Formats: sequence, structure tokens, C-alpha cells
Amino acid sequence: MNQIQNANVHNTTALRHTLETILWYVVLCLIALVTVFPFVWVISTSFKGPTDVIYSVPPQLIPQNPTFANYIRVWNQLPMGNFFLNSILVTVSTVVFNVLFTALAAYPFAKMKFPGRDVIFYLLLATFIVPPQLTYIPSFVLAVNVFHYYDTIFALIFPSLATVFNIFLLRQAFRTVPDDLIDAGRIDGASEFRIWWSILLPVVRPALATVAIITFVAQWNDFFWPSLMLHTRTNMTLQVGLANLQGMFTSDSRGVAAGVVMAIIPILIIFVLLQKQFVRGLTGAVKG
Amino acid sequence: MFKKRFLTPYLFLTPALIIIAIFIIYPIVAVIYYSFTDFSIVTPPEWVGLRNFQQLVNDPVFWQALLHSFIYLLVTPVLIILCIILAIIVNRKLPGIHIFRAIYYIPVISGSIAVGICWRLMFDTNGLLNSILLSLGIIVEPIQWLAEPAYTLPIAMLLTIWMGLGYYMMVFLAGLQNIPEELYDAALIDGCNNWQKHWHISVPGLRPQITFIVVISSLAAIEVFNEIYILYGPLGGVLNSGVTMVFYLWRQAFRLQHAGYASAVAIVLLVITLAFSIGNIRYLERGSEAA
Repeated sequence: MNQIQNANVHNTTALRHTLETILWYVVLCLIALVTVFPFVWVISTSFKGPTDVIYSVPPQLIPQNPTFANYIRVWNQLPMGNFFLNSILVTVSTVVFNVLFTALAAYPFAKMKFPGRDVIFYLLLATFIVPPQLTYIPSFVLAVNVFHYYDTIFALIFPSLATVFNIFLLRQAFRTVPDDLIDAGRIDGASEFRIWWSILLPVVRPALATVAIITFVAQWNDFFWPSLMLHTRTNMTLQVGLANLQGMFTSDSRGVAAGVVMAIIPILIIFVLLQKQFVRGLTGAVKG
Repeated sequence: MFKKRFLTPYLFLTPALIIIAIFIIYPIVAVIYYSFTDFSIVTPPEWVGLRNFQQLVNDPVFWQALLHSFIYLLVTPVLIILCIILAIIVNRKLPGIHIFRAIYYIPVISGSIAVGICWRLMFDTNGLLNSILLSLGIIVEPIQWLAEPAYTLPIAMLLTIWMGLGYYMMVFLAGLQNIPEELYDAALIDGCNNWQKHWHISVPGLRPQITFIVVISSLAAIEVFNEIYILYGPLGGVLNSGVTMVFYLWRQAFRLQHAGYASAVAIVLLVITLAFSIGNIRYLERGSEAA
């Protein structure tokens, strides 16, 4: 008797548990719908031929005559290859040198005592709240009058070669390295540069990856400053080119959609491959 | 030998400091100077004292832009509430939960231009939103979403929120996973239900993340530009309905060549962000001491 009752209780809790799980998946799927639906619709639009309507009641989601024509048209009318190449060049060179320069600067802030250290560090931190757009007016003058790199990708690379945020993050990482490791290196007669390169950098590799990803995403998606600097179409990055495409193809939603899909795919592939590093990198900066 | 030792830290700092000095420190000083000049980027600046600021006080569009930027700050509380709820949802140990987290993260990495264009296509008069609303019978005639001044800011703010959801959710999720399990067990023993449990333990436990997000997302809100530009183009919406501080700065400096005047706008922006950040950090830190 008791056993039967137990089994019953067991069954109902198991049932409740299953129902609850299903409910959670329903909630999760609904949220997923909200976050990816615009993309799904744009992908569908990008494959629609001229006979497939974009606007109809009810909306048509699956193209009846799927076609690559929109992609080919956009690729032929705009220098998409240049956009990609420019974006890759800008992003890769920025990431490499930014990580190098900020890792160099983070070492003395974390592990050395020298006159002016705290003053310089707090001055740098204070610039962190300054809106970047505020610096663009003088930077524009510099680009035109001093550096003469207006309308070239160098105008995007140089100002991004060091960022206060990255110095700050790497300094935190260097501080966790035990002093004994560094002292051991000094006793062995290694130069400070050598200590930095062969003792510190390998230890803080996860932090370097974080900084690299933050810089990568920021630079790849940057728009305001690049749109001020780049005017010749073949010099544009993907984001500037995409905004340009929207202006050119105002009456061609299918073409615009194809451009958007082409622009999102590279970063999406990288995201899928490096998902863990991405999420840790972009959110790990805030540890209590 | 001694000299070399003395110089070493500075040598490490040199490359980064040169870049930051040229592209951040110098511009801040220069923009303060420009704000007291009549200046059009191509012609040299000419000292005019406080004239730009006097003009600013009497400029109705500037006040409109200021108001719009403050309205935009509403994205911060919405993001915090939504993202705490989202983080609690995705904190369940369910099979495949990682896939859902990744899906929610896609808008974060896709870039505001691509995402903004997606939204433009959806909110277009001939777009998806009108098709859905019409076929559900909610509206009888298509609405011109992007041409209606009353909708300009709400649509842009919705876009900002939508793009931020995944990011702030992950920040809160990392915070939730740092809260010791025993606290929840203790709450269950004390007879808390699910909601009380989160209200009394999760929310206070997320204080550092809330502080961070309040500062970061309100700075981002006050500096908004891309969403407005890509949704409404260089005019910033019908009747300036989408013109924010940074948008106005951009228009004055780079469209109308009034770089001196734009620098005055920049100074106001700087004062606001400084006051705001200091205020935020003070207020939230005081709160955490009390807790």
C-alpha cells in the first residue's frame, strides 16, 4: 500500500518536473525567436527573387524561387572584396599592435615602482569616461593637416594602437603573477624585456586573448570614426560600405539584405569557432 | 647601469603613451580650446570667447538634443531588469542551454550597422512588422514607423536594448554563478519561494555587476549615434526627433563645418558624462557599503 502511494507521488513529481522542463524550453525558444528573428527574415529576404514578394499579408517567410542573384548584384556593383580586405587589414594590424603596446605598458604599472606611476595611471583612467566622439574633432584636424592619412585605412589603425581599457585589464592580470617568478628571472640575469616576454606573457595568456577579442570586435564593428575618414569607395571598411550600400540600394531591399548577410557571416563564423573565449572575453572584464 | 634601470619602466610605457597622448589627451585639450573659437576644420581657429556657449543656450535644437539624450537613458533600467531575469532563466542547468546563450549573444557581435539595417527593413512601411500586424488584424493600414516623430526615439532605444540583451545577460550570469549555492539553500529552509529567493539573494548578490552596467550602459546611451544614423539617416529623423547630443555634435562638426560650435557641444557632453559617472559610482558605492 505504502509502496504504491510512494510510486504515485514519484510519478506526479516526475510528471511535474517534465512539464516544467518543457515550459522552460518554450520560454527559451520564445526569447531565441526575439533575438534571431530579424536575422532569419533578412536571410530569407536576401534569397528572394523578383517574383517573391517582400511585403505581403500574411508575410512570406520562405522564398518560392530562391536565388543568389541579389548577392551577385551587390558583389558586382560594390567593391565588396575591398571592403572585406580593408576590414581584415585594419582589424588584424590593430589587434596585433594594440595587444603588444598595451601589454608592454601594463607591466611597469603592475610590477615596477617608479616616479610618476600613480599620477600617469590615474590620468589614463580618467580619460576612460571621456566620450570618444569628443576627440574626433581634433583627430580629424590631425588626420588632414598633420598625418595626411585622411581617406586611408591608416587613419583607422593609428588611433587604435593603444587603449586605456586594455592597459587596465592587462595590469590586473599581471598583478596576479607572483613576484617570486619575476625575482627568479632577475637573479638569473634576464633583462626586464626578457622577463616580460618569456615569464609574464605566457602566464597571462587568457587575459591576452580577452584583450585581443575585445579589440577585434570593437574594431571590426567600428563605424563613427571610419565613416568620417573613408570617402573613396575602394578604401572603405565593411561597416562604412554597408551604410553606403543602404543609401545606394534604397529601393532594393533584397540587395541590402544580401549585403547585411555577407557582412555578418565572417564575424558569426569566428564567434561559433571561438564561442567560449568570446563570452569570457567580452564579459570577463567585470569580476566584482 | 643605474640610469638604464631608471629608464626601463618608461621605455615600456612609451609606445602606448605616445598613442594615447596624441589621440586622447591632446584632443581633449584641443577641443576645450576649439570651443572658444570660430573654426571650420579647414580654416584656422579664431578666438571668440564665450560666443559659442551663448549661442548654445539660445539654440532650441541643442536643448532638444539634450532632452533626447536624457530620454535615451531609460534604456539602462530596462536593460538591467530584463537582463537579470534573462540571466536567471539561462542559469538553469538544462541540456543545450549553452546553445541558447550563444543564440542570445548573436545581436551583440553582429555590429550596430548590420543590425540597424535589419531593423530598418523590418520597420519599413513595406516591412515585416506591418505585414504581421496587418495579418493579425491589429492594424488596418500600414504604419509609417520610421517617419513618425513620436516613434523615432522609442524604436532606436528598442534597438539599443535588443543589441545589449545578450551582453548584459552574460555579465549577470557570471555574477550569479559567483553567488554561493548555500545562500539559496538557506533561503529555501527559511521558506522563501522562488521569487523571494531571487529578490533577497540574487539581486543583492549582483550589486557589482549592476554598478558596472549602470555606468557602462548609461555612458553608451548618452553617446548614442550609430542606431540613430542607420535608422534615420543623416537628418536624424523627422523634425530632429532623433537628434541626440552626439548626433548634434556630428552634424555641427562634420556636416555643417561648425567645428568650434560642435566643440562647445562636446564640452557640455563631457561635463554631463563626468558628473554622471562620478554621481553613479558614488551613489552605488554608498549603497554597497550600507548593504
